[in-house]
Amino acid sequence: MIELNDICFSYSDTIALNHINLSIKTGEAIALMGANGCGKSTLLKLINGIISTDKGSYRFHGEDVTHKKLQDSQFSKLLHQRIGFVFQNSDTQLFCSSVYDEVAFGPRQMGYTESEVESRVNDCLALLGIQEFSKRTPYHLSGGEKRKVAIACVMSLNPEVLVLDEPMNGLDPKTQRWLVDFLNKWNKAGKTLITSTHNLDLVQEISKRSILFDETHTIVADGKTEELLMDEELLKRVNLVDQSYCYHKGL
Amino acid sequence: MDNAENKPADLPDWLLKDENYIPLVDKDTFVNKSILSVFKVLSRIKKQDSQGLTGSRIHVPIHVLGTFLLIMLVSLTRSFIFVIIVNVWLLAVLSMIDSERLVRILKLSAGVTLCTAVVMLPAFILGNTYSSIMITTKVFATITAMGLLSHTAKWSALTEALKKFYMPDIFIFILDITIKYIDLLGELSLNMFYALKLRSVGKNRSKYSSMAGIAGSVFLQSKELAEDMYHAMECRGFTGEYHINNKSELKWLDYLYIVINTGFLILFIYFGRM
Repeated sequence: MIELNDICFSYSDTIALNHINLSIKTGEAIALMGANGCGKSTLLKLINGIISTDKGSYRFHGEDVTHKKLQDSQFSKLLHQRIGFVFQNSDTQLFCSSVYDEVAFGPRQMGYTESEVESRVNDCLALLGIQEFSKRTPYHLSGGEKRKVAIACVMSLNPEVLVLDEPMNGLDPKTQRWLVDFLNKWNKAGKTLITSTHNLDLVQEISKRSILFDETHTIVADGKTEELLMDEELLKRVNLVDQSYCYHKGL
Repeated sequence: MDNAENKPADLPDWLLKDENYIPLVDKDTFVNKSILSVFKVLSRIKKQDSQGLTGSRIHVPIHVLGTFLLIMLVSLTRSFIFVIIVNVWLLAVLSMIDSERLVRILKLSAGVTLCTAVVMLPAFILGNTYSSIMITTKVFATITAMGLLSHTAKWSALTEALKKFYMPDIFIFILDITIKYIDLLGELSLNMFYALKLRSVGKNRSKYSSMAGIAGSVFLQSKELAEDMYHAMECRGFTGEYHINNKSELKWLDYLYIVINTGFLILFIYFGRM
């Protein structure tokens, strides 16, 4: 479904992605792990077509995603519908005057009638348990509620792939647990899930496969999540954990 | 792909089917241009921050003083030759900096000079040629001198220099915070534009109301940030006083810069007497 071959990307003089090779199949649940600034968010932006590669190729469903193609409005809109992106900071994703309008923003553009839009929005709000907020201004919601609204906005587009940048950040343990269950449910429905996270306690529950970045912005490991989490030396080498973490986890 | 067989109990049917969707053609120029312009400003700020090696090689307080003196002299002089000499000197300095910054400074100077020339056109046509050319060249010199200062010195160094000239702390504070907020809110609005682009999967008939929504959110965020910062300042015992600990010594280039500026002062007096 998603194939990245020898991808390189730099912000001016700073390298963000260094020769990345990655293949993701339909229905997989993948976690991207690594220390801060290792390139996880940049890779997610690249998969979503926000940025394009300096070197290498990115293919989605066998079709090349290039800078030139992303200039084509129809192509980029279809890509954005098929790959949904939940930003790390939910505030950046919400700009409508009510939660209902936020969730209806995508379906309205997709040409659905207002009754179809209403039914789709109500389904999303019910699924995320935020029906009572439908008339409220997104800005005044709590962090967890905003995250749910942001997910509902993306869900209403019915994307094939859901990409989440640090989804557990700033959430209380109960909402984190709810999000884990929700993502599993989403994945069981056959949707592909790509999550970047630092939360080593929950990563095993949302992904079977993990990709580990090191500080040279390269993928150093690609394998089963539980196996990667057991490899103390590797986690230390990529600067993701320290001795104290390993001690407390009994590694 | 139909995943109805594996359907988790509470997922609606439409979520289990692939969308058979072909987007309508829509113009996104406004959003794309907004992204590009915010991105440019942010990368300029970030570049300023990592300017250690390529930044101003002249001691910044001396550079600020020199620029101020040059602008004063250019404004006060009645000698066209003096203005031309200053312009030649500024162009010579410009030619020594990297091409990217050179183009940026020249673009700004040329743009402002052109606007001045247009404003001066009636006076020029009506016979007041000397004054119109004089004012236009003075504008070019002033903008170029300011451009050289702002593009070669870090903003943090500029605020430090202002402190050395006994500028009121409140003025430096506002300047510092403004730069910080341009960066923070710029980053926020860039991400909001990205989100708008990603969520605009079809024909967006209310582009401008989305833009207004982004502006409103940025405003609310800035208010929240300002309140948080005020509380943080109180907690950290900030009394509004700035202290500078940087005691760098003057180098030969700084002395050369002082000599050149003294030369300009002598030339100003010399041409003023003619």
